[in-house]
Formats: sequence, C-alpha cells, structure tokens
Amino acid sequence: MLEELVGSKWHHFITQKAGKHYPEAIVYLSDVRHTAGIFFRALGGEGGLNVESATDSEVHAKRTILQRIAGIGDKTQYAWRDEETLRLPESIALFPNKQLNLDLYLWLTALSVVEVKKGDWISRNQLRTAKTLEIWPGLKGRYQLLLKAHLQQRPDPASLPEREAKQEKLIRTALLNPAEKIRLEYAKRPPQPVSLWLHPSPPVEEMNNRNAPEDPDDPEAADSKEEQKKQQKRKKANRTETPEGKDGLMSFRLESLWSWSEYTKVDRTSTEDDDDDAMQTAEDMDNITVSQDSETTAGKIKLDLDLPSSQYDDIVLGAGIAIDEWDYKKQRLQKDHCRIIPMESKDAEACELPQRLKSQARKIRRQFEILHPQRHWVSRQSEGTEIDLESYINFLADRKHGHVNSDVPVYRDLQTQSRDLSCLLLADLSLSTDAHVNNHSRVIDVIRDSLYLFAEALSVIGDRFALHGFSSRNRNHVRFYKIKTFSEKYSDEVRGHIDTVRPGYYTRMGTAIRYASQLLEQEETSQKLLLILTDGKPNDLDKYEGRYGIEDTRQAILEAEQKGLQPFCITIDEKAEEYLPYLFGKNSYILVRHAQELPAKLTQLYMRLTR
Amino acid sequence: MSEENEEIPFYQPQHNEVELFEQAYKNRLPLLIKGPTGCGKTRFIEHMAAKLGRPLYTVACHDDLTAADLVGRHLIGDGETYWHDGPLTKAVREGAICYLDEMVEARKDTTVVLHPLSDDRRLLPIERTGELLKAPPEFMLVVSYNPGYQNLLKGMKPSTRQRFVSTRFDYPDSKTEAGIVEKETGIDLAISTQLVELAHALRVLKDHDLEESASTRLLVYAATLIKSGLNPVEACRAAIVEPLSDDEETVSALMEVVKAKIPVTE
Repeated sequence: MLEELVGSKWHHFITQKAGKHYPEAIVYLSDVRHTAGIFFRALGGEGGLNVESATDSEVHAKRTILQRIAGIGDKTQYAWRDEETLRLPESIALFPNKQLNLDLYLWLTALSVVEVKKGDWISRNQLRTAKTLEIWPGLKGRYQLLLKAHLQQRPDPASLPEREAKQEKLIRTALLNPAEKIRLEYAKRPPQPVSLWLHPSPPVEEMNNRNAPEDPDDPEAADSKEEQKKQQKRKKANRTETPEGKDGLMSFRLESLWSWSEYTKVDRTSTEDDDDDAMQTAEDMDNITVSQDSETTAGKIKLDLDLPSSQYDDIVLGAGIAIDEWDYKKQRLQKDHCRIIPMESKDAEACELPQRLKSQARKIRRQFEILHPQRHWVSRQSEGTEIDLESYINFLADRKHGHVNSDVPVYRDLQTQSRDLSCLLLADLSLSTDAHVNNHSRVIDVIRDSLYLFAEALSVIGDRFALHGFSSRNRNHVRFYKIKTFSEKYSDEVRGHIDTVRPGYYTRMGTAIRYASQLLEQEETSQKLLLILTDGKPNDLDKYEGRYGIEDTRQAILEAEQKGLQPFCITIDEKAEEYLPYLFGKNSYILVRHAQELPAKLTQLYMRLTR
Repeated sequence: MSEENEEIPFYQPQHNEVELFEQAYKNRLPLLIKGPTGCGKTRFIEHMAAKLGRPLYTVACHDDLTAADLVGRHLIGDGETYWHDGPLTKAVREGAICYLDEMVEARKDTTVVLHPLSDDRRLLPIERTGELLKAPPEFMLVVSYNPGYQNLLKGMKPSTRQRFVSTRFDYPDSKTEAGIVEKETGIDLAISTQLVELAHALRVLKDHDLEESASTRLLVYAATLIKSGLNPVEACRAAIVEPLSDDEETVSALMEVVKAKIPVTE
C-alpha cells in the first residue's frame, strides 16, 4: 500500500522532472478534433478523412539520465496522414504554454495538407513547411514561436559527442531555413524527434494489395462496439502474411507459441474481444502485427453466421436486381456490381398494433390529424385575397358609431395545406441492431417500435409511404426486405411484417439507397422523401468499409438528390458526427442520442420535415 | 467609370450573362437565375435594368407570399374599396422588369400565377377585377433562386422551372473576385486577394461543416470594415465568420483559418 503510494509519487515526480512534458498545459486531441477537422478541410484537405490519434513510435535518440531513470523518452507520437485518416498525437504537452500546444496541433494539421512525394524525410518536411508558410502567411508568427520553443528543447550540440553534435546542428539549420538543402549524416544515435514535423516514415497501409477478407463471419460486431471505443489509440501496425498453417505441422513463426506480443489477432474481421487482458497487453505493446484471415484465436467455434439454408430463409421475391457501385479510387461507377435480393419475411402473420404502443399511437395520431390536408376559407385575416363581408360590415358599423380602429382584420383567405408527398423509410437491419440499448430492449426493438408508430402516423395524414429494411452479406447478396410498398394499404398484414423485422448481416448502405431511390423515383408526387434509419457506418465483408463504403454511400446520396429525392438520415450512432455531415450535408441528418426516444422522435421529425 | 454610366450599378461580368440577358429581353423570354447567396444575382439585375433603362420591381419572396401580394388586392378606403396593383401588375402595366428574388421561398400555388405570363401568351389575368393584361414587349420577368439554400422540401416545381431560360451564377474566379472587392471598397488589391483566398478555403467547407458559403457580399463587408480601420482579423470575424455559423466550436475553428491566412497586425 505504502509502497504503491511512494511508487506512484516517485513516478510522477521523476517523469515530470525528466520529461519535456507539462501536464498542466496538456491539450488532448479530443478537445481539438472538431477544430482540427475544419481546419484541415479549409486548408484544402479531403472531406472524407477522419481525424484520429496517432500511434507511439519508437525513438532511439539519446536520452538524458533523468529520462532513463524515469523510463520515458523512448516513445513519441508523430502526426501523419494516410488514405483514410489524418493522425495526430493523442495529446500534446510538449510546451509549458497551452496555447503553444494547441498551435502545434494546428501546425501539424496544416502541414499534413501539403502532399510531398519526393525527397527524404527532412526535405519533405522542409518543403511542407515552406509551402504552408507561403500559402498561409498568418501562420508565420505562430510557427516562429513554436520553433523557438522547440529549439530550446533540443539538445545543445555542445553537450553531444562529435558526430551527434554535427547531426543536431544540421537539423537545427533545416528547421531554421526551410529552403536550405541538408544532407544528413546519421550518427550512431538518431536525432531527437522533431515534433514540428510529420512522421519521418509513416506506416503505409497497402490498401491495394490487400485481399478482401475471405469469409470472416464477424459475429462479434454487435458486442465489440464497446471494445473498439476503448482502443481508440492506434498502434503502429505491420501487416504480415497470414501463416499458411494448413499443410505443414508448424509452418508459422515459432515465437507465436511463446509470446502474445508476436502474433495475435486483433483485426476487426477476426476479433476475439472478450479478453480485457489482451486489451491491456495491447496498450503496452509497441508493435502489433496484424494479418488478415478469417479465424479467431479461439478457433472455429462460432461458425454459424452463414446464410440459412433456403428452406429456413425468408421468401425471396424475384431473381435479384443488379445495382451499380461507386469506386472512389477509380472514380467511376462499376456497372451492375451488386445484387439486390428482394425479400419478404416468411413468418409474418397479420397482427394488431402491440398493446404497449397503443396509447402512444393514439396520441401521435391525434397530433397528425391536424396535418390532414384541408382547404378552407379563414375569416378575419388582416391579409387575404377576399374581403370578409361580415367583418367589414361590423367595421363600417363601428366606424359610424365613432369607434375608429384602423387595423381590423377584414379579409378572408383560402388556406391550403396540400400534402403532395411520398416517403420511403429505409431501415438498417444489420447485425449491429442486435446490440442492447438498455436492460430490456435491443436496437432492433427500438427500430420496430419506430416503424409501428411511423406507419400509424402516416396512415392518418394520408401521405404515400413505403417501409423497407436491408442488410447485406457481400456485394451479391444485399437483402432488401419489403415491409410495406407504396400501393399497399397499412393493414394488419403490414403490422405482421413489421413485427418480424430482425437483425441480419452487414450494412451495404449505398446499394440499398440506390435501389430505394429507384422505387421512390417512380412515385408521382412532387416531393419525395427518403428517410434512412441507421445505427452505424456503412460496412460489409469485403472492401466495403472505411472510406470505400463512405464514398459509395455518398455517391448514392448525390445520385438520389439528382433524381429530385430528398434523402434524410436518422441515426443513433454517437460517433455519427464524424462521417454523416460528409454523407448527407449538415442539415440532412439528425442524431438521436437516446435510442429509446427514437420512436417518438421519428414521428415528430417527420412532422417537422414535411410541414 | 464614365460619367454617363454613373447611375448604372457596378457589375463585373463573369461569362456571357450580360449578352444572355439582353437577348432574352429582346426576345421576350423570362429568365431564371440560379446561384448561391451573395454572388451578385441582385446586383446583376439592377445593373441590367439600369442599362436597359427599365424600371425594376423587386419582390423578396417568403413563406407567406400570396398571389394577391403579387397581383394586387382590394383595399378599404373611406367608405369604399379600391383596387391596388401589386408589384407584378405594376410591372406589367409599365413594361418594367419584375424580379422575384428567392422564388422557392414562396408557396408553390403562388407561383402558378406566373404561368400564363411566362409562356408565349404573356398574359396576366386579374381574376378579382376581371381584367386581362397583355404584357408589353418591354416587360420582362426574372426570377432567382439558390439551389443549395432549399430547405429539405423546398424546391422549384418542375412545371414552373421549365418556363424559363436559365443560367447559373457562381462566385467569380479568384482574380475577378479580388478585383470586385477592390473596386467596391477601394481596398488594397493585396488585402482583397487575401480575403478571396480565405473565402475559397471556407467555401470548401460548405455542406460538410457549414450550411452556406462565404459570399462575395461578405467579403465586401469585411473589406469595408478593414478599409475604415478595423483590425483585419476582427473584421473577418464580424463580417465573415460569425455570419456563417452559430456554433461556437465551428466559429473558433474558422477563426483559426482566418488567423492562418491573415497575419495578425498589432
């Protein structure tokens, strides 16, 4: 007990003493994420990129005695960007002044906008610096302050051995004169990290060479959300080849027998996340080597997320419809890349509205009755197309008797509330909807209730509406459930279909949106609203995750807008603000933070949208 | 500017819009102008009206704009009623240019009164007085709207849209825009160029972080403030950043962009 206390005090003391580290001035990435994102995009960065925390990189530079005692100074976090993300340090506390630390974040963000392909790490960073300062002269003052502070922290060349001193001097020159060409001769120890520059050799993700995961059947998707959140800090990832363990007895690396740290499965396609210790170990590691295959470390126990055999599966309606898909890397539409399988639940039996929803439904119905289209004359208006004779006579009579009131409402007006509107509600029925929102309901239950109340409300005002659900399993199997079509009447049969919605597989959102747009486009009303109800990002088994899926979905939404549809997204994913603005635009989505409020919110929202 | 042109409001043409307007006017075609807020639509029409020497009736459309607001209505006077022409009727009678700004804001049934006027009949029936006005050759109908500005369910009725010759406006290219800001405010070209570069950076944020783009009008405001002595960074805050967003976090992020572009002068 006492030992622990002393230990932690000592750790605190020595770290502070030794580190160029000022905890009182620390700035976290989470505080500046929003600002950095806007800053990055405004300076010319791509809209689809995420801002995430960087990984620790090893530093072999000479440490001071104090640093060695404290056991710090051997790791640093550089910033870099790759195809999908802008990576910034998780926190910065390099300088005693909070403003400087904040400025460093912005500076790194600005640097990462400039793309430089050629040169070694020094000339690349020099060029970046020069370019940034040229385009953004306002940063000069702040850069000078940062540079001054950073130079103060760099080791004094006089205190270093000869070769290291030379190396250090060169780096100083490079920092001071971005234009000067430097040829660095490396000393035995590499130089101190330059925190004003980007990562010397950013880990390259070999996006193109990567095989699509074969068939991982990711049953943990629903439960692993929590874990993913915990482990936001990135680890430097090396992709190694999957050991081919099939034909040889032990053809994989022997070390993996001994040490967790050498070979473990932490890829999302094959996570085995129940183990919190593993998470802990991962925290402490420098390198996590990841390879892609489809098995979990626990072995092939969970194999059953395959499609059910046809006799157990739901009813397939029709042969399937080919749908295009957008490939952002090639910037072109891949013709007929995906296949929609229209389906219908086989267990649907006509049923009534569940008892628990009845009172809420009644309330909502009453609210919506007001919106029922009517066209009537309103009397006593201060503005209107006709004179309201009765008021006018009263007015004249009043005036004859000496009551002069200049502002009398003596007009009448014909007010119409024409509702010339069709709405298609597309619900995400992926496996992640199996997750619980609280102790007694799952996301899917919330979605089901939402569908019920939504349908009740819309059937009252008489807007044309259709309900569909989707989930996917690879590009040639996008299941598109028919719950209610536009022409169908909202009846007990439809309620039966709502009752049987259940979690499916993955979320190939772009394909589903494209097909839903096709259906909605055929409607003849002047306004066509496409509501999308979801709980997370687009994803699927193959490359349809991360940027690929996002870009395809965005493209599908743009196409829908071109067709004159109005897409609007309702989500319960708390991280939605990172990607939905890019997909739908700032005004066309809403985040419902408490999933259990969704059923009520959805109908309110519909009322607001279509008023 | 030469002396005889003094009354014509300054307008810097970007493409062929002046010629298009003149041809449309000559051939009695109604014109629809699409373009983002503050890119110079209204200025262009004022300019053209002055150039062609026609009076201009501008109506800013809004939710409650009724057909009666455009055509006219009976007003109650001293013991009797009399008819009062709306701006559209006035324009038809006088052979003026009638400009409906942000037409999508108006209720859809309102815009239907424009239909007989905007095809080759060029008629304006006034139901309440039984009059049928035939538009003289000088009359021209111009409407504008901002395609990005539509609230979710506001759009233009295709049947209305199809009656117009249409052109699209956008913010001018950097050089032209810097020139416009310079000319409007008399500010240094160096500063106006910086402002335009800043605007370009902010415009890419549209739809993702911002609902609206930084318009040329806002740049002119900022330049005006700088010209009259306000600190440039503060001028940008007041004239560009704050008008673009209400969200504090976004405002402070945008201010970082401003500070990155414009060196702080003490």
